[in-house]
Amino acid sequence: MGWITGAAPTQAQLDACVTCGLCLPHCPTYRATGDEAASPRGRLTAMAAIADGIAEVDETFAEMMSFCLQCRACETACPSLVPFGRAMEGARAEIAAQLPGRRRSARRWLVGSAIANPTLVGAASFGAAVAQRIGVGRSGAGTIGKVRGLRRLPLRSSSTRGKSWPARGVPRGTVALLSGCVQDPWFAEVHEATISVLRAGGFDVVAPPTQACCGALAAHDGAVAQTRALAAANVAAFDGFEYVVTDAAGCGAHLKEYGHWAEGGDVLAARVVDVTELVAQLLDDGQLPEFGSRGQRVAVQDPCHLRHAQRITVAPRRVVAAAGFDVVDLDPSGRCCGAAGMYTITYPEMSESLGRAKADEIDRSGAAVVASANPGCEMQLRSYADEAVRIVHPIELYAAALQGRD
Amino acid sequence: MSLVDDLVAALGADRVKAHPLELRVYDKDAGVARGPVAAVALPESTAEVVACVKAARTWGVPIVARGAGTGLAGGAVPTEPALIVALTRMNTIHEVDLENRTAWVGPGVINLDLSAHTTPMGFHYAPDPSSQSVCTIGGNVGTNAGGPHCLAEGTTVAHILAVEMVTVDGEIVELGGPAPDPIGLDLRAVVVGSEGTMGLVTRVLVKLTPNAPDVRTLLLAYPTIEGAAETVSQTIAAGIIPAALEIMDRPMVQAVENFVHAGYPTESAAVLLAEVTGHPAAVTAEAGQIERIALQAGTTEVRSAVDAAERDLLWLGRKSAFGAVAQSAPDYYLHDTVVPRTRLVETMTRLYEIADRFEISMLNVFHAGDGNLHPLVAFDGRDEGARERVMEAAEEMVRVSLEVGGSLSGEHGIGLEKRDLMADVFSPIDLDAQARLRDAFDPDGALNPGKILPHGSRCYDFGMQPPLSQEPAL
Repeated sequence: MGWITGAAPTQAQLDACVTCGLCLPHCPTYRATGDEAASPRGRLTAMAAIADGIAEVDETFAEMMSFCLQCRACETACPSLVPFGRAMEGARAEIAAQLPGRRRSARRWLVGSAIANPTLVGAASFGAAVAQRIGVGRSGAGTIGKVRGLRRLPLRSSSTRGKSWPARGVPRGTVALLSGCVQDPWFAEVHEATISVLRAGGFDVVAPPTQACCGALAAHDGAVAQTRALAAANVAAFDGFEYVVTDAAGCGAHLKEYGHWAEGGDVLAARVVDVTELVAQLLDDGQLPEFGSRGQRVAVQDPCHLRHAQRITVAPRRVVAAAGFDVVDLDPSGRCCGAAGMYTITYPEMSESLGRAKADEIDRSGAAVVASANPGCEMQLRSYADEAVRIVHPIELYAAALQGRD
Repeated sequence: MSLVDDLVAALGADRVKAHPLELRVYDKDAGVARGPVAAVALPESTAEVVACVKAARTWGVPIVARGAGTGLAGGAVPTEPALIVALTRMNTIHEVDLENRTAWVGPGVINLDLSAHTTPMGFHYAPDPSSQSVCTIGGNVGTNAGGPHCLAEGTTVAHILAVEMVTVDGEIVELGGPAPDPIGLDLRAVVVGSEGTMGLVTRVLVKLTPNAPDVRTLLLAYPTIEGAAETVSQTIAAGIIPAALEIMDRPMVQAVENFVHAGYPTESAAVLLAEVTGHPAAVTAEAGQIERIALQAGTTEVRSAVDAAERDLLWLGRKSAFGAVAQSAPDYYLHDTVVPRTRLVETMTRLYEIADRFEISMLNVFHAGDGNLHPLVAFDGRDEGARERVMEAAEEMVRVSLEVGGSLSGEHGIGLEKRDLMADVFSPIDLDAQARLRDAFDPDGALNPGKILPHGSRCYDFGMQPPLSQEPAL
């Protein structure tokens, strides 16, 4: 039957692979299994088999594709520049279209619709905040149901959406903040830090009221219609801003690919910056101060969607160092922590083994603080790292230094 | 009952593959040939490999051993429906003996992982194929793999002291030993490069090489490929054996630079990477001497990597060369021949001429130090007749290499690709002797059948060999 939707992997994407295999050791699932079918090259071969009409989109194909973390470490390693992440989103879209009953509809609704609805997310967050206080959950306050590694949630969350904050001193421009879906209620401190640093750097900060969830989770799951609708909403909401700032690497990576999802998406994509990118630039320009070393080590964890999807590795280290910390790299620094969006729920075993491996890396680094620029990674690290290890966003360290706090 | 049932009973269902799509991903390596796969097994121990061999023998299915599938000559591509035994899960570094500078490792250990493990201890595993970040020690043993740094250090066979191997009867044998020069017939050297036709290697005793106290990597750019080749010849003639001497031509440099952004000079006709290692004083002296030779040969740019990061980036470019060609076309065909160093320039000229005549796009990257050429042809397999034209040109290119006194394969092995050219190099008596050696290990031809030796290699059955049940589609 081949592909049936317009979202399928394109022939050009599949042709870009010459099967050299240089991606294999960078793939966490290949590393864990040694199985070609769990490697980027194997997955592309399987997609090509569908495209060539010699295999069908069946349960085996779906399983092969779903097992992928979409970390895109293979893209960084690929000398042929195969856009693997795009091809995988296409394969997932085909699976959603051809095997509609495969996924529990509850999950599809969750990533496609519920998470994009601030009212629902707010209600769920309130429930979770109450649960944390009365001690519901498996182990510790950070765990609610299947969601682990949460920060302590506020009972009354106030969304950033629709608000604005003036620059300190003479404004040098206006930036828009992506409020996000769960970032707003669950990681309010990260937004606060981002806003305070950008204001100090001379920017007026605006969180447009009509913005939507970025749609990354929907795209990763093959929910094409929802992804397009969310992208279109954001293209309209963020029109005209000099920068669109995100403090969640997964969102930033997806926004930067809006050219594939919405009319005018490429214009928005070109203006998207990760907060660490922008702050590193402000530091370089001397617009923000640098603090001397206080002799404390901070391990920088590279979220895959920052390191591999956006190719940003220097900026977060720059920000952490400017906050007065000695940066330590985790080894191997480019390996996925196993958070990967919904992966913690869909493949708990693989997710856990990657999470534990990352926790061991943190242990070996000897750092008491880990800086991670993505909410999913942060929760995963908090789930598996030693309880004494503090997990924060790099911008929080810098904001604290700026305010003279620890 | 079936082969798959027996395998599942021995290994469990997750490590046995039989769905057509799962078989599809195992039906080729990094080259162009595909072959038929009956089933795939992923054993984790020598005992499980024995179980795989016994099951396949019970059901009369041939056995093909596979590492990471980065081979380019079809060594791991079956010629008839076979059980693929993928040894990637046997990736334990069992024992490192620093005093004797050796390590026992599983066949699935990735080449670079081994070096990464031992480098902090002051040692590394010397053979470094371009695919070293991916390829396995078992696969290196199978093909007697080389690599840029084999110029000074020798290829895989010089670094393997012993192998533990499961024979075609499911027996476990150990060939060779910790002594560098084994007593009696050197069967270990027979197994290295035999592409899984003698048995399935399940443990390998490798030599570890001390890390060089100092390294200098030079990038030299030339307006002509002759200048680069001249530098290579003169360097060796001057008595210097650099750790590596690698040439890339302009199309290759452009493809590579597009990926690594290492600042390769994309306008030069050729780039030579020269690396010298050793005592700091010797390194400085040799690097200086190479630089003088290069200037005489007309180099237009001399760059010395300032630190390990720049050196790594330059090597990443060189080692990504094959993959990078996909930027120009979806398929590639990579040659692997060796010519005498003194005839490099003449051979290159003839290769470019063949490429022009067949109207194919050729990129070049090669281990110039030991005359190991890798002309690489980029093409689109869906174009009418493209594959045939490429293969025809390929054969001519190999024959040119043989004419100037070269050899069939530098390091990728014979596999399927060069099998039928073996008769151009060896006499019927030579081939018969090789066939008999192979028969001594595998009388029924159950291990990677149809590889290395062309049909009719045995004098006594000349003409009686049944044709292959299924020729791989190239």
